[in-house]
Amino acid sequence: MRGYFAGLLAFLAAPALAAEGERITVTGEIIDTWCYYSGVMGGPDSVVGSAHHTCALWCSASGIPIGLLAEDGTVYTILKLGAQDNATGGDTALTLASHTVTADGMAYERDGINYIIVEKVVEDMGIVNRTHEDYDVVPSFAIPEPKE
Amino acid sequence: MKRLILAAILASAGMAHAQSPLPFAVGGPYALTDHTGKARTQADPDGLPQLLFFGYANCPGICTAALPLMGDLTAQLAKADIAVRPVMITVDPARDTAENMAEPLTYFHPDFLGLTGDAAALDTAYKAFSVDHAVAYEDPDYGPVYTHGSLIYLMDASGEVLTLIPPVMDAATATNVALKYLSNP
Repeated sequence: MRGYFAGLLAFLAAPALAAEGERITVTGEIIDTWCYYSGVMGGPDSVVGSAHHTCALWCSASGIPIGLLAEDGTVYTILKLGAQDNATGGDTALTLASHTVTADGMAYERDGINYIIVEKVVEDMGIVNRTHEDYDVVPSFAIPEPKE
Repeated sequence: MKRLILAAILASAGMAHAQSPLPFAVGGPYALTDHTGKARTQADPDGLPQLLFFGYANCPGICTAALPLMGDLTAQLAKADIAVRPVMITVDPARDTAENMAEPLTYFHPDFLGLTGDAAALDTAYKAFSVDHAVAYEDPDYGPVYTHGSLIYLMDASGEVLTLIPPVMDAATATNVALKYLSNP
């Protein structure tokens, strides 16, 4: 539940982006938006960084939108990530899951949600948020069941 | 409490922009076949607004959040006397066939339609919505699993995309977003 409210607050904290878009350069972590907003995996601190890396990979591969959690707490839903058309599930998204990056692109606001089309990842700092030290790693249900 | 927060979200969304055109290009024509065998394009033959997602009906991995939300959203809009058609275009026509899509999709809502087609027809749809069609990973038991779309597209009856609905919203929030576009067409 804390994550849910944190997510809602992130919505509310949305900067006043022009509807037609605004070029921004932003630094933050590539996150799994389902677990971040829903709170199903715990509070917002536990669903970012190294503690959530494996789950973030599975969510991305399963079609959950990825987001960029900026340093000011704003969450941008990523529509495109560099040369890759769909941001979710592909090589670039899986490679950058849980990484802290500096991205350059066009930001849009619609229906209270922030979106970003990342034109270039300026810097990839890797996974620097070592949350596994506090929250351990890998929820068991993120490991697929073998075929019966 | 949830209602208060939801109201604040919608207020912050800026109603003046509620029906402005999307500021980025997405969508376009496609010609596929639904799971009943009927030809179907981006235009709804019954003149209904549509909810569109690119994914799996027969999901080999972790189940998507999008299909349950589309079912809930369709049901919630019906309570406001707004009929919409939930539609899913498969990203894996080898696994999702016209014969086997109905059961898993109608589990989420009886009006759900699954669309498939040959490789060229599907590729046209993928390209229109910027859905990369690539292998996400090889499951040792189930074989290749393809990348999904990650957003639900709210479209009008002609197939024009009105707005995006990320499937991380709860049904009430998604319903209120959709109502902004569908209440006064």
